[in-house]
Amino acid sequence: MLEVRHLTKIYDDGTVALRDVNFIVPDGEFLVIIGLSGSGKSTLLRCINRLIDPTEGEIIWDGVDLAKLGGDDLRMARRKIGMVFQHFNLVRRSSVITNVLAGRLGYTSSRQSLLGRFSAEDNAKAQHALERLGIEDQAHKRADELSGGQQQRVGVARALMQEPKMILADEPVASLDPVLAHSLMQQLEILNKEDKITILCSLHYLDLVQRYATSVFGLRDGEIVYRGTREEIRAMNDEEFKEIYGQEAERVGGGLQGDLLTANGGGA
Amino acid sequence: MRLSHTPTSSEELKPSLVPPFLAATLSLIIPGLGQILARTIRRGLLLLFSFATITGLLVWRFIETARRDTGLINIVKKGLSLEPALVILSILVIVFYIWNVVDAYAIANRSGSNPAGLLFLVIIIFFMLGWQIGQIDLVALITQADDAGPALTSVLWPWERSIEYPKDIVTTTAQIQIPCTETPPAPSGALEDAPYLLADPTCGTLTEFEGAPGSTVTLTGHNFIPNTRANIWWKDPIGNEFRQRQGGEYINITPDENGAFKIDIVLPYRLVPANIRDVTTIWEIQIRQVASIGDWQFSTELKLAIEKIIETIFIGMMATFFGILLALPVSFFAARNLMSASPITLGIYFITRTILNIIRSIEPLIWAIIFVVIVGLGPFAGIMALTIHSIAALGKLYSESIESIDPGPIEAIQATGANWLQVVVYAVIPQIIPPFVSFTIYRWDINIRMSTIIGFVGGGGIGFLLSQWIRLMDYKAAGIAVWFIAITVAILDFVSAEVRQRFV
Repeated sequence: MLEVRHLTKIYDDGTVALRDVNFIVPDGEFLVIIGLSGSGKSTLLRCINRLIDPTEGEIIWDGVDLAKLGGDDLRMARRKIGMVFQHFNLVRRSSVITNVLAGRLGYTSSRQSLLGRFSAEDNAKAQHALERLGIEDQAHKRADELSGGQQQRVGVARALMQEPKMILADEPVASLDPVLAHSLMQQLEILNKEDKITILCSLHYLDLVQRYATSVFGLRDGEIVYRGTREEIRAMNDEEFKEIYGQEAERVGGGLQGDLLTANGGGA
Repeated sequence: MRLSHTPTSSEELKPSLVPPFLAATLSLIIPGLGQILARTIRRGLLLLFSFATITGLLVWRFIETARRDTGLINIVKKGLSLEPALVILSILVIVFYIWNVVDAYAIANRSGSNPAGLLFLVIIIFFMLGWQIGQIDLVALITQADDAGPALTSVLWPWERSIEYPKDIVTTTAQIQIPCTETPPAPSGALEDAPYLLADPTCGTLTEFEGAPGSTVTLTGHNFIPNTRANIWWKDPIGNEFRQRQGGEYINITPDENGAFKIDIVLPYRLVPANIRDVTTIWEIQIRQVASIGDWQFSTELKLAIEKIIETIFIGMMATFFGILLALPVSFFAARNLMSASPITLGIYFITRTILNIIRSIEPLIWAIIFVVIVGLGPFAGIMALTIHSIAALGKLYSESIESIDPGPIEAIQATGANWLQVVVYAVIPQIIPPFVSFTIYRWDINIRMSTIIGFVGGGGIGFLLSQWIRLMDYKAAGIAVWFIAITVAILDFVSAEVRQRFV
């Protein structure tokens, strides 16, 4: 269970990115955070795995306050939290398999990783992760030779290598077209359902939110302005969505059910 | 330079401070002053500045041309008569001066005056001054090009100089008995295929000191190398050798086209030790001729050039090597994104950048001169000069590529729980290797090019030979050096392009 209490982040230039944010995420949840760009979604996700240090507040995960961790303890905690990024953040010149294996760095000694050596077990895991995401035949290509959708799958595979209990996904589909967006969200849903990985995902599109979220909250100017359950979200119409989200809310396009067929077919 | 007349809002609103006639008069006294007071300050200052510069330069050209004359009128007369360009320049400056006055009037009158003509005039004047100062002589370029022909041809195709035939001095001897006895030595016999020398008679008396001249001997030679000069030497009984003189001059002989010659010589004066002075001794007379022996071989120049081109490549290589080694740590200090954490590190960043910029602005040739003073002539000075310059250049390029790395992968690797070292190895290094490799090869390229000329100032390598051969006007040898440089640079160009393509 993840519990965030009184989380505040003020940047050095005085920008208040998060203002007294409180929420609880039970294990196995698919939580979607909605909000305009600049509303604090990215900051919130990065505060949880401490890529950004919060100014104030507690982030309690499995009884440990992540906000107070440092050094090796923080690294141990990060190992169990995967992260997927809007721009994939792959090492573009390295091979796909190297990018995926990088997910095991937290479990590998400095000496081994310096030599680029990973255990046979890790290599098998990487192979398995690639198979699960349907990109096993791309393993030895350079990451930047892959299409956007494939690159994001590599990003997910890297997160998966950490054997995470939770995945933070920061706008994972914002750089993808609608079909690929659905396909990737389905992958995350599978991880959520089959592997029981808690997912915190920031999203833009109403239909994706309605289709995949088990719980939602909306951020505006660093404050939580909306909390909703799966049912409440499903019942919501565009006008209500725009009210929390602002006028820029949009759908991926097409109907909710109708899209899934194409999404299933157009994986790569 | 912008003499734009397009009035800015303030110029348009405010009227001139002085009436047109006064403005013109002021510009007559000091060019540009009228325009300044007419509130077109920038235009006035530019006119003032251009006029002062042009006049100063023109005066200097007059003094230079009429160097030996004194007095204003003499100098002007001499200058105008010697250099037609100065006549045109003087006229143009006067036109410029008058135009400036007219312009001042028009500006103050707010009737508008197009500055394009003035600007054009200033450019023309500066161009003509440049022609004068640069001593541009297109006639020489065309008429004297012919004289350079032989030298340039030698440089273009110097390869006959790459081989040579070994030469040696061939000595042919005959014996002379001094003084004559009843049994003078028998003359050597005729030979079939080797040069031989006959003396007649084979004995005689030496010239006495301030006394009677010695006896005359007729020398006949055969089978010598035709038409090639030969010298006459003596070897006295105690083994000392000296050249035959006649009337104070050394004498030379040149065999005819059959390799034969005939010459009368007077036995020389020679001071010999007392113990052999009054006894009969055998003296040897020698004909020495330079002859080719054996087959062709590679010339000394070619061997030297090969030696030095190898040295050159290694100078470039070592300089690049040391440059990389030292530029790597320096580049981290010069990368703003790494050094902006605190004011102290930011201070180090600025100091590093400043030092790098200063070093880079000094040409490697000048560094070479400095290092020749420190470590002496030779390749080491060249290596040091190129190293210093490489550190500065690579330091800047490396640090800029560090500054431009994508922070995304870094945060992604951090998020996996990787430690600092792992982040560097997996997220930073893969990103900086391609630009580093690219810049390094580029620098290697530059260093080899530079090392070919660093020898001109004593920094070792082939440039030293080249400068020497050019000064000796040995254009064939210089041509060999030029060819080696060209071949090396071409190969290097190709290799570096290939390597860069592989890595980047």
